[in-house]
Amino acid sequence: MHSSIQALKANRLKTTLIYFSLTFSIVSIFLISSISYGIISMYSSMLKTDGDIIITQAKISDTFFSNVDIKLTDKINEIKDVKESSGLILGASPVEKLPIVAIYGVTKNRFKNYTLIKGTYPNKNEALVGESIYNTLENKKNIQISNKIFKISGIFKSDIGFENGGIVLNLKEAGLIFNKSASIIMVNANVNADINTLVKKLKKLNDNIDVKSTDNFVTNYNQFKIIKTSSNVISFIAFCMGLIGIISIMSITVNQRKSEFGIKRAIGISTKKIIIGIMSEGIILGIFSFISAFFISYLVLYFIKNSSHLQGYVNGEISSSLAFYILITSLSMVIVGSILPALDAAQTDPIVLIQGNKI
Amino acid sequence: MIKTNNISHYYHKDCALKDINLEINKGQFITIIGESGSGKSTLLSILSTLLTPSNGDVTFDGVAYRDIKNIDNFRKEKIGFIFQFHYLIDYLTIKENLEIANEDATTKEIIKLLEILDIEELLNKFPNEISGGQKQRVAIARALINKPEVVFADEPTGNLDSKNSLKVFEILKELSNNGTTIIVATHDTQLAKMADKIYEVKDGQI
Repeated sequence: MHSSIQALKANRLKTTLIYFSLTFSIVSIFLISSISYGIISMYSSMLKTDGDIIITQAKISDTFFSNVDIKLTDKINEIKDVKESSGLILGASPVEKLPIVAIYGVTKNRFKNYTLIKGTYPNKNEALVGESIYNTLENKKNIQISNKIFKISGIFKSDIGFENGGIVLNLKEAGLIFNKSASIIMVNANVNADINTLVKKLKKLNDNIDVKSTDNFVTNYNQFKIIKTSSNVISFIAFCMGLIGIISIMSITVNQRKSEFGIKRAIGISTKKIIIGIMSEGIILGIFSFISAFFISYLVLYFIKNSSHLQGYVNGEISSSLAFYILITSLSMVIVGSILPALDAAQTDPIVLIQGNKI
Repeated sequence: MIKTNNISHYYHKDCALKDINLEINKGQFITIIGESGSGKSTLLSILSTLLTPSNGDVTFDGVAYRDIKNIDNFRKEKIGFIFQFHYLIDYLTIKENLEIANEDATTKEIIKLLEILDIEELLNKFPNEISGGQKQRVAIARALINKPEVVFADEPTGNLDSKNSLKVFEILKELSNNGTTIIVATHDTQLAKMADKIYEVKDGQI
């Protein structure tokens, strides 16, 4: 360990280059993973806090395009074990200078989900705005959505960035803007209700609806799958970039240290020890890079979270399991990346020492 | 102790050594002389296990090199190397340079060895803080730290002035007197005369 640190210190420039290469790729993995995890987490917690069952239009790929008849709630509420059902329209619209703002049309019984910090829940021609978007508005009294102007009735606060940066309207008024009566219907079941049985009962109500438990919906939601896949692909590219960085710079370092490995081989140090030595150097760098990347990512995510331009929609979360996963990824990167240079070093033929000038 | 049996070596089709037969006994001080390209370094490389001959055998106490299963251990336990260039690891102190050759060596043993070589004050210095002659003496110390039975030296005075060259040969002679077998390849015929036996290599033959 001591000699590995000494070796890293002795080759400062290359050590720094490897450190930066590693740190940047780990930061990239951290950011893309935490941001995509944060988006999924925000949307799924928004859905999970709203109900046990979600009803969408059948055979539709995204909730934004879903159109469900709100009149279904009358029939739903009559089913045994249904505690409450509510409608929700999910839309998006430009607001003032902001190109896209989430618009939520909700039934009155859902207002309780939005914690008021000022004003009242919206009546006709009124809108309730999230705290983060309210702070960016130039006109704090009225807001234009599509071709209609709404009076701001109050401000709410939500830990979910999508909501905190969104606007809540009455379902009917949102329905007029987005030309639908509801995007989705959420059903709350009684405490001891069998969700699967309830799902089956709800499916029988209409052939044009898709009914899923919230957990099942979140697991199978196509958008989440796309986000996860994209995140994994970008993380893999960042991993490969880091890997190539380590292999190339370490190979150069090993080549410049041929005489060191040659003399070690000549005095009987085993190939295994030489390999372990080089890999230890990689692992030390990997751990330092991981720690640096963790704090850099934390800082970047803090600024992203508090950036008014992003309205709180991009809200990365570094969970302990994500940090652990990235630590393992980082260590795998340095272990795999240092194997080739380590093998090259261990195979140094000590005869090069007698051939003198060739090294 | 070391015996060669008709060893020949070829680099591609060029013959570097041909039918070499020699026997080196324990405690002997041997010098191998010859002009540049004569094959003396190739012979030293073969005798010291660094190079496998194209033909023939080399034995150490009756055991053929090719039958030695762990050549790393063999080198560590039986052989010490000194090269023309010192090859000290520049980011390690002199003490650490000796410790990598023998992890079990105590500080006391290292200091004692450095005292014999008259460089004990260099213990905690780095190679770039000492002179060329001192570096070569540290290289000798590294070769001796494992108490090897035989020390191979390839042009150990090649980078030294005459005063330091003589000092190095005196040290090697002293080691030989104490029972260590010394085999040196050199082009310096005057210093070579300090050996018990001189082999001259010419056109790949002794």
